[in-house]
Amino acid sequence: MITLKARGIVEGRARGPALIGDEAISFLGDVDIGSGRIVGDLPSLANASVRGTVLIFPYTRGSAGAWRFLYQLFKHANHPVALITATVPDPSVVQGAILAGIPILCEPERPLKGLIGNGARVAVEVTGARGLITIEPADSR
Amino acid sequence: MELTRLENEMLDGAHGPAKQRAMAGLVQLGRAFGAPRMVEIGYAHIHAGMALYLEDVELMEELAELGAAMAVPASVNIANADTVNWRQTGAPEKLVRLQRRATAAHHKMGSACTYTCTPYWAGHWPTWNTHMTSIESTVTVFCNSVLGAKSNRDGFFAVYAGITGRYPLFGYHLDENRRGTQRFRIDAPLEGTTDYSCLGFHVGRIVGEGVPVLEGLPARPSLDELDALGAALATSGGVALFIVPGVTPPYADVPQAFGGGPVPDAIPVGRADVDAVYDYFCTGKTGAFDIVHVGCPHASFEEIKHYAALLGDRRVREGVEFWITTSRAVRTMAHEAGLLGPLEQAGAKVISDTCPISCHFARTTSPDPKLGVVPPPIRTVVVDSAKQAKYVRDMIRCDTLLTGTREAVETALTGQFVARRA
Repeated sequence: MITLKARGIVEGRARGPALIGDEAISFLGDVDIGSGRIVGDLPSLANASVRGTVLIFPYTRGSAGAWRFLYQLFKHANHPVALITATVPDPSVVQGAILAGIPILCEPERPLKGLIGNGARVAVEVTGARGLITIEPADSR
Repeated sequence: MELTRLENEMLDGAHGPAKQRAMAGLVQLGRAFGAPRMVEIGYAHIHAGMALYLEDVELMEELAELGAAMAVPASVNIANADTVNWRQTGAPEKLVRLQRRATAAHHKMGSACTYTCTPYWAGHWPTWNTHMTSIESTVTVFCNSVLGAKSNRDGFFAVYAGITGRYPLFGYHLDENRRGTQRFRIDAPLEGTTDYSCLGFHVGRIVGEGVPVLEGLPARPSLDELDALGAALATSGGVALFIVPGVTPPYADVPQAFGGGPVPDAIPVGRADVDAVYDYFCTGKTGAFDIVHVGCPHASFEEIKHYAALLGDRRVREGVEFWITTSRAVRTMAHEAGLLGPLEQAGAKVISDTCPISCHFARTTSPDPKLGVVPPPIRTVVVDSAKQAKYVRDMIRCDTLLTGTREAVETALTGQFVARRA
C-alpha cells in the first residue's frame, strides 16, 4: 500500500479504479452525459468511460458551463467518483464537484502516472486542505 | 479563510439552511483558490434552472424551499424554452411547464426572472468597482470590460453568492489580475456586430485565458459591438476581461492597461483574420438552410430597431424560418414601441427567454425522458454571431453559415444565402 499527500480542493472520500489521461479535459464536450464515455479528442482516453473511476489528468480546459456537465454526469450516475489533477481545476469544475460531492485533489506529492496504471485501486480522502491518496495492493479486491 | 462574524454565523446555520449551504460552498471555493477573505458583492447574474437537464430546475426549487432569498439584485440567465411564445418554437409543452416551475422558484427567491444572457439590456447595469458574479461568461466579460465591474467566470455558485451577498476574493476581483497580458493592434475596417464577433473569436483563440489589450479599432465601438466582441472572446478563449484603452474603465491608455509594467510587442490583426472566421463558420450548403437566426447574445432594443429597419416593409420569404432572440424585457419594450407587430407581420419570429443553442434543438442536453424532447432535424443554421455558430456546431451538431446582420436579414428575405463582404 502506497500513501501520497495531495492538496485537498473539494472535500469528501471515494474509492475506485484509476483512469489516467494525458490531456486536459473539458467536461463540456469531452464526456457524454448519458454514458460517461469519452467522446472528445483525447487519445489517451479513447473509448474509456469515466463512470465510477478515480479520474487522474493534468488539468481542466476552461468553460464556464463545465459545472453543469459534471453535475449532470452525477445526476445520471455516470460520474467519476473523484478527480486528481496536477494543477487546480477551473472554478466552474470546482463548483460542479462541490455540488455533486465529488472530491478533488491536486498537486500530489509524486506524479501518479508511471506509479500506477489504469484499473489500480485508489482511495482518496479530503478534509479541509488536506488530501490523502491511497493506492491499494492489487490483491485487496 | 478569514470570515467576518456575519459570515461565520451564515456558515454555522444561524441564518437558515440556504445561507449555510451557500456559505459552505463559497468557503470551499475560496480555499481552493487561496482567497484570504470574502468580498461583498453588489449584483449576481444567476442560474435559471434548465428544463433540458435532469433535475436542474429542481436545484432551484430546492433552494427556494430552503428559504433562499437573493441578498443583492439578481438577474436570471437564459432558459431552455420561451415561456411565453413557446408554440412558435415547436417546444414540447411539458418542457415549458417545467421551465415555468423555475420561474416560480425565482419569484420566491426574489430574483428578477429575466431569462437572458444580456441582462444589461434589461436594466441590470452594475457600475465601476462593483464586485459581482455571473454564471454567463458573456455577462462576465461585458461587466468587467465595458462597465468596470469585477467578476469571475462562475458556474452555479453565482446562486450561492446571490444568496449570501458574498464571494471569495480571488481572480478578477483583485486589481493585480486586471491588467493586460497580450497586446493586439487592429488594422482592419470593422462594421457591425458580426465583424466584432469575428475579431473577438480570432483574438480569443490566441489569448486563451489571458487579458487582451486591443488598440487601433477604427472608431469607438458601439455598446452592441462591445457586447459582440466580448461574447466571442469568451467563447473561443477563456477571456473574462478585455481592455480597450479609453473605453474599459479605468484604463486611459496602453501603458495603464499593462499596469505600468512592460508593454509587450503588438500582435497584428488584419481584415484577413476577421474574414477567416467567417470562412471557418461557413460549412453549410448556401442553397439549403433551416433557420436564419439573429440575436446572439440576446438582442438589445437598438438591435431590434436595426432589424426592423433592415426588413423595412418587405416580407421574409415563404418557407424561411427567421428567428430574432432577445429577452422578455426587450421584447416588451419593442412591443410597446410598436416594433413587434411589423416584425411579426414581416414573417420574423421574435423569441424570448431562449435561443437556438439553448432550446430543444440542442443534442447535448440530458432531459428527463418523460418530457418527450426530440431535437428536430436541422442541417444548417444561418447566424450573425461567432458564438452562436460555435455552439450550433457543438450542440445542435449541424452546419453553419456565418454572415453579417444585414446579410442575414437579406438571406431571410430572399431565401438565398448572402455572404458578408467587407
